[in-house]
This record gives sequence, structure tokens and C-alpha cells, in this order.
Amino acid sequence: MGITSPLHELHEEMGATFTEFAGFTMPVQFSSIKDEHLSVRKQVGIFDVSHMSNIWISGKDAAALLTKTTIEDASRFGLGKSQYTALTREDGTIIDDTIFMHIDDRYMIIPNAGMSNPVTDWLKKQIDHFSLDATVENVSRDYAIIAVQGPYSQQVLQETTDIDLSKVGFFACSPAKVADKECIVSHTGYTGELGFELQVTPLENGVSIFKEIMKAGKNKGIKPIGLGARDTLRLEKCFLLAGNEFEGGRTPLEANLSWAMNWDHDFIGKDALLKQKEEGDYQRLTCLQCTGKGIPRQGMLVEQDGTTIGVVSSGSMSPCLNTGIAMAYLDHDVVSIGDLVNIKIRNKFAEAEVVKPPFVKKDWSET
Amino acid sequence: MSDEVRDELKYTETHEWVHVKGNTAVVGITDHAQSELTDIVFAELPDVGKDILKGDELCVVESVKSVSEIYAPISGKVIKVNGDLEDTPEIINEKPYDDGWLVEIEIKNKDEINSLLNAEKYKGLL
Repeated sequence: MGITSPLHELHEEMGATFTEFAGFTMPVQFSSIKDEHLSVRKQVGIFDVSHMSNIWISGKDAAALLTKTTIEDASRFGLGKSQYTALTREDGTIIDDTIFMHIDDRYMIIPNAGMSNPVTDWLKKQIDHFSLDATVENVSRDYAIIAVQGPYSQQVLQETTDIDLSKVGFFACSPAKVADKECIVSHTGYTGELGFELQVTPLENGVSIFKEIMKAGKNKGIKPIGLGARDTLRLEKCFLLAGNEFEGGRTPLEANLSWAMNWDHDFIGKDALLKQKEEGDYQRLTCLQCTGKGIPRQGMLVEQDGTTIGVVSSGSMSPCLNTGIAMAYLDHDVVSIGDLVNIKIRNKFAEAEVVKPPFVKKDWSET
Repeated sequence: MSDEVRDELKYTETHEWVHVKGNTAVVGITDHAQSELTDIVFAELPDVGKDILKGDELCVVESVKSVSEIYAPISGKVIKVNGDLEDTPEIINEKPYDDGWLVEIEIKNKDEINSLLNAEKYKGLL
């Protein structure tokens, strides 16, 4: 059994089935992946994502450290603001993607599960290398992380907290009390729905908070959501998953993160990325929606006119669209929106259309 | 976890059931198998007329999260496949022993039937 969440017993009581993920034992589903997925899109769901990492960055050069090691200029983000970004290597490839939050005079970053040590070590190395006045503290084992997502998420969470959530704008963050316990609330999420994420310490407060939110959300149909639905929710919105969209060397340009890149600051990997941008002939992450039956999966090849043009990085059945969807890295300049390609599913081909992200649009639950 | 086992059927260690009907056998997956898979969203069935050997991959059943190969419990020729599964694969979850059947095979070697597990032996595996 991997490392269990502080909410593990609670999950067992709620009838979760568990899975191993990045060295952690986490709930993969409670009722059914489809049911949980649709509950988040239509009502509200609560997630335990305590397996993710928490790192405090403090000191005079805290912002400078983030600025140097990510594709964003952290100094642009004042107190109470957060941003999605990526840490890059010298060759421009992504080490990890993360949110950073500017809280008090420090920053908290939330690297992916299993990345707390590599990211902490990397940051410490850069502090030495660039002689920065900053400290990095890996507090992953001390924090529970809870996400509340869906059209009713704000309403439900509001009943349990002392701050006015309507004042916490998109990507804003704030210390708050939820279920009378202190935590950090951010207006962020991995589902593409209205939602908030809570960083909670000490761990036992995570249990109280989870229970309180479940209680508050009862008449809105709140459900606990496992990692199975978490994956289908993010895939429908074309969000990246560590280990799928970036593993073994993918750059932010390839992963469609140009929108998150700030070129006006100096950062590790900038030169390599500028060169790649100029040359322009790199594979790009593309969204493919199956036109018929068949479910694309990671690793399947994509062909056009009998030639392999790329590979699927993530694929599944979309619970909202009831069709197979995939993100794939395709060769430069071979497809445009609307083109048809073939995904090799075992020994058959499934036709798919190149679509503009996201697969599921913002107003889906109203249609 | 659902674990209904029907006494009149034969079974394999890989959780397939076999209903022998004279010269043919109908094949499906057990209640245990469907509950492990959870929501089945796709079933890829073999072509009618295909010759298969015991142990060959017979078909593929997929849930949202996973792909499961189903193996031929006996050798023979595929004479019928369950067309309802194309539009409503979830019947396999709802009625794994009835409307959720997968394939009917013309039996090639009756001895292979004898080497299948009976209900008692299969229950012992669960």
C-alpha cells in the first residue's frame, strides 16, 4: 500500500475503491466515474487531492527564485494572487507544472504528487547557483488538500467559511477559516468548472473540513469524487497531466502553454525555448475527438494518409460527450482544426477530428 | 463487490462464464468481472466466422479507466455476437449473465468443456 491520505479512513467509510498513484493510495471512485464526473459538471463535487505536494518559498528573493525557475515572472503577482506555470530545465523541457500562490510574504507552490522532493532539490540547487536569499520548505506531508468544484461549489463552500468568496476572484487566494479551521483558499481547480481549492494544516483539520463541506452540500447533491473522474474532467478541458503530457522531455511550446509564457524575464531554459520558437518545427499537443466508436488511450499512434504523424498522450471516453477523446502530440503543420486523422486502436483504426480545445465548452451543463 | 455465480454455468479462472447449448457455447463475463471493471463504455467483439483457439484474445471490454482483454474459454468458430452491446455496452454491468452475453461459439473440441470450472470451484476463487 502506498502513502495514504489523512482522509483515508473517511474514504473507506464512504465506500471508495482505491488505486496506487505516484506512490500514494488514493480513491479512484466512490460510486461510478461517469456519475461522479457528471455531478461535478452539473452540481458540485468534493475531491481529496492531498497526494499533491506543498512547498513554501520564502525570503527576500522568493519571487526572484520563482521568476528564475518558471516560465512566469512571479513579481507580477501581488499578494493574494496566484498563477499556473511550469518549471523548466536548461533545455526548455518541463520539470513539472504547478500553481504558485502569493500568501503573506511567501509563496506556496503545489507541484504534482511524487514531485515534492525533485522540485525542492531543484529549487535549492538554483538558490545556490544564483546566490539567492530564499528558503524552500517541503511541507507536503503536513498539508491536506481539498478541492470543491462545480456550479454550486461557491454556494456550498460559502456556508462553511468566514470570508466572502465573491471577493476571491479567479486565481485569487486568501487565508480563511473553513469549518472554523485555518487554511488557504484559492479560486482555482482542475475541472474547468467554478471551484476552489483548500490547503489545510494540520492534517486532522482536513477531515473536519471535508465532513463539514459534505454536510453543507447535501441539499445540493454534493458527492465525493475520485481520481478516475478527476482525470476525465481535466481531459475534457484539455488540461495537462504529469506523466502523460509531459514526460521524457516536452517543452511548454509543444504542450500548448505559450499563453502561460512570459518572455520578458530571464529564466532557466529561455534560450532553448527561444530557439525552438524560432525554428517552429516542433510537435504540438492537439485535441482529437473520435467520430465513431473506439476509445483512444495513451501511447496509441495517430496516422494520416497511412503515415504516422504522432502519438496519443492522454485518451479516454468523455462522459459528457459520450465519445472517445484524446490529446496527442502531432507533427508540426500537418493538421488543422477540422481535419480527420486515424488513431490506431489495437489492430483497427478509429477516425477522429482535430478540434479546438476544450472538448467540453463552458456552457455544457446548460445545453 | 458483486459476486453472483450461477450454478448451471461453467467458468474460467479469468472470470468468463460459458453456457453450453449442445453444439455451441455462449460466453460472457461474470458478475465479479463486471463489478471490477465498473461502468463498461465499450465492447469490441470479434467478427462472425472467426476461428479462435482457447486462450486467444476473444474480445475487449473497456471501462472509462481501463481496457480488459477477454480470452476464449474454448476453441471454435464465432457464430454470433451480441449486437446490442454496440449502443448499450452497460448491459454487461446490469445483466452479465443474460442480456450482457458477448459471443456464441460453435464448439470445436468438447473435451475443453470438461476442463472448465464448475460453479463451486469458481466460487472458491472469489
